[in-house]
Amino acid sequence: MNWRRVKNWLGIGVIVTLSLFAVAPVLSVVVSIYAAGAAAIASLGGLATFLTAEPPDPFATSGGVGPLLAGTLYMTALGAAAGILVGFPIGIYIGEFKRDKLSHVARGAVNMLVEFPTIAMGLFVYGMFSMVRGDVNSVLAPLSRDLSSVLGGWVTWFVGPLDFYNAYIGAAALAIVMIPYVALFTASAYASIDQPLREAAYSLSGREYKAVFTVLRKVVWRAVLASFLLGTAKIAGETAPLFFTALGNHYYAPFTGPTGAVTLWIYEAAQSSYKVQVDSAYGAAAVLLTVVLALFILAKLLGRGR
Amino acid sequence: MLGLLLLLFLGFYAVSVAALIFLKFRWGMRVVGLAAVLILGSIAVMFAVYSAPALARYGLSLFTTADWDPGAERYGLLSAIVGTLISSALAIAVAMPLAVSAAVAINEFLPSQVRWVVASLLDLTAAMPTVIYGLWGRDVLGPALAAGLNALGSWLLGAEPVRTPLNLLTAGVLLAVMITPYAAAIIREGYGLIPRQIEEAIYAVGATRFEAVLIKLRYIKQYVAGGFFLALGRAMGETAAVAMVVGGNYVRLVLNPVDPGITISSLIALQFPNAANYLYMTPVLYAAALTLVLMGLVINGVALYLLYRWQV
Amino acid sequence: MSKIEIRDLWLSFGKVAVLQGVNLSVAERKITALMGPSGSGKSTILRVLNRLIELIPEAVVKGDVYLDGRSIFSMDVVELRRRVQMIFQIPNPIPNLSIFENVALGLKLNKLVRNKSELYSRVKTALERAQLWEEVKDRLSSPAGKLSGGQQQRLCVARALAFEPEVLLADEPTANLDPENTARLEELFLDLKKDVTIILVTHFPGQAARISDYVAFLYKGRIVETGPTKEVFTNPKHELTEKYVTGKLY
Repeated sequence: MNWRRVKNWLGIGVIVTLSLFAVAPVLSVVVSIYAAGAAAIASLGGLATFLTAEPPDPFATSGGVGPLLAGTLYMTALGAAAGILVGFPIGIYIGEFKRDKLSHVARGAVNMLVEFPTIAMGLFVYGMFSMVRGDVNSVLAPLSRDLSSVLGGWVTWFVGPLDFYNAYIGAAALAIVMIPYVALFTASAYASIDQPLREAAYSLSGREYKAVFTVLRKVVWRAVLASFLLGTAKIAGETAPLFFTALGNHYYAPFTGPTGAVTLWIYEAAQSSYKVQVDSAYGAAAVLLTVVLALFILAKLLGRGR
Repeated sequence: MLGLLLLLFLGFYAVSVAALIFLKFRWGMRVVGLAAVLILGSIAVMFAVYSAPALARYGLSLFTTADWDPGAERYGLLSAIVGTLISSALAIAVAMPLAVSAAVAINEFLPSQVRWVVASLLDLTAAMPTVIYGLWGRDVLGPALAAGLNALGSWLLGAEPVRTPLNLLTAGVLLAVMITPYAAAIIREGYGLIPRQIEEAIYAVGATRFEAVLIKLRYIKQYVAGGFFLALGRAMGETAAVAMVVGGNYVRLVLNPVDPGITISSLIALQFPNAANYLYMTPVLYAAALTLVLMGLVINGVALYLLYRWQV
Repeated sequence: MSKIEIRDLWLSFGKVAVLQGVNLSVAERKITALMGPSGSGKSTILRVLNRLIELIPEAVVKGDVYLDGRSIFSMDVVELRRRVQMIFQIPNPIPNLSIFENVALGLKLNKLVRNKSELYSRVKTALERAQLWEEVKDRLSSPAGKLSGGQQQRLCVARALAFEPEVLLADEPTANLDPENTARLEELFLDLKKDVTIILVTHFPGQAARISDYVAFLYKGRIVETGPTKEVFTNPKHELTEKYVTGKLY
């Protein structure tokens, strides 16, 4: 009889201890990144410099993540926009139209995609793009010429014939990573609506699309917005999809060519044998972590304000 | 020419979706749902097509040999496959106890303030960029594991087993840290769905809290399995973090976890930039990607089958 | 001495008082019915008696309950639940476990048997007493979730009886059963009361009238009237009671 009680307390103790082990690493990560990162940013010229300067070559004494941050922001924004525009409707389809047979197949496909190795997404986009590149460029080249004659030369940094590696296919790869994530989140948000509420929404709105997009959206907008924020944070931190799409770049350059990203730089510089580059990797990591944390905290606050 | 067709197709698809959603909603949504299936399908097809040259030339030996000599155009994916299996097995073995404990502790034992903190930390663990884990793995986790094992080794065996912190073991443990929150989230979901009546029945027959937890876990075993397979799939596909800590050894077949090794995804990451310089490396790497996709399909298939069998 | 003595029991969920000063004596080896309209607190009292109320963290309990003269709050809760068993309104066998395992679960957890053959015989006895043995003896290892509603409820009775409990708490056990199964269960209770003290919560005054020896009428968390069933039904002392038993209050 006493052994049972001992087993009870031992068991609970083990469970609680292991659960603390599960969350301790992330604390260690945050602390070590900020500690080393802050020191690194200071030694590389201070925060203002760090956010705008180009990354250091092996013999430089200062540097930053300027072009990399620009690349990350640009590709993340585009990727997130596409991810939301495609992921949100797919999520509604899976979450609301459960009776459709296709819905179950789609859900299965989405479940598989969300687990997909992200490097495969990058390879896929690269492969697809190499098939269409010629034709795409035959449209973009004259378009870019016309626009820049009207708006100025800077347009060519955004619109123009695309290299084998460029920011747009990087953004596309990020979008494909984000789509299933947003879809699943949206699906569970819509699925958790109480049936009476749903019936009310459908009977009040004239057309079906109004019910789904307008009325029900008002009920779940917090959860859906949180999923957008979390999805954006996720792709801001992705590396593998960018390996063979954006490739990486150490300089400020047109988005129609190889583009750098903070994550790509961390990956590259962390494995360098030069201290100044490793330092800049930590500085970049601190910057990236701040962006991710900000989005994460925003999403959590949204979730709490019910 | 093919490109133009593809673009036309995409354009037509987008327009018809927009039109259908506003005209005949249900069908518009169906077309949208089809997009997910199409993306998955095209990925599989494309990989198969691009890897065909390698499969034609090397056949099965591509998967059963551990050679990697691009100059001589000799390739073998075995060490990558074995490395993936070893690191994923390690990862899931470490992650499952952590994930189950975290899910149970959050739902059962932790006081409500602590509960929110732990759950949020777990979510943050999932949201953390993988390169940052790679950085931490290289400079914190790897050295710590190596030091610990070496201390243990010299105390027990008189020898230091770990020569470099960049090895399959570090990759496995790092993966475990990264995949735990995914498994935990699924288990938590299942735990929350246990009906109040079942809980009352369990306690009415005189179970202690710990015994009740065991019975409940058995009750939601399909969620535990679901978490297991989701985490396993993630471990197999993770690239950047693994590439930064695994050691990058694709020449020899490695079976000892404390030796530097390689996994399929890190192989692709590390070798693809070189691939254009060789005749057959690109198709070989696509074959590697295809292998990864197929492994993922198998895991998902098993997961679905088990879920189906355990429908009560 | 009464089997169970409830003295001055108050219970609230946060600020809402659900039980307000309940006093009740439960006689041994008789069927005592608790009746009253919805929300009167009947099921809540039951959950105090085997301390299942402790699963709800917001519940605050004041007062005391005595089992054979000893306070149940000073006992080990696991030991209490061995002696005081419960069956529920919605039958709740654990569906993924087999029929045999469901009955055996409590016995195994609490180490009430010494070997496999003793376990088997106790499970068999319990199923026989619950009048389920004949129907399931050939499929003891099939999942309990596959039984019909009436069978599941009898399985829950068997699970409770396997403990050879002193007290059986029944929370509206026939509410979800058809008339035939209801009648079967009521007959079973009449048979069981020679060994077990039964406290029956019921929504149907008719049920209380049919099978109970004593009855307590609860209204809004207070006991309005108690006494031998025949008396309370034919000669209720309180106006509310009279309204309830004649169907004017529900």
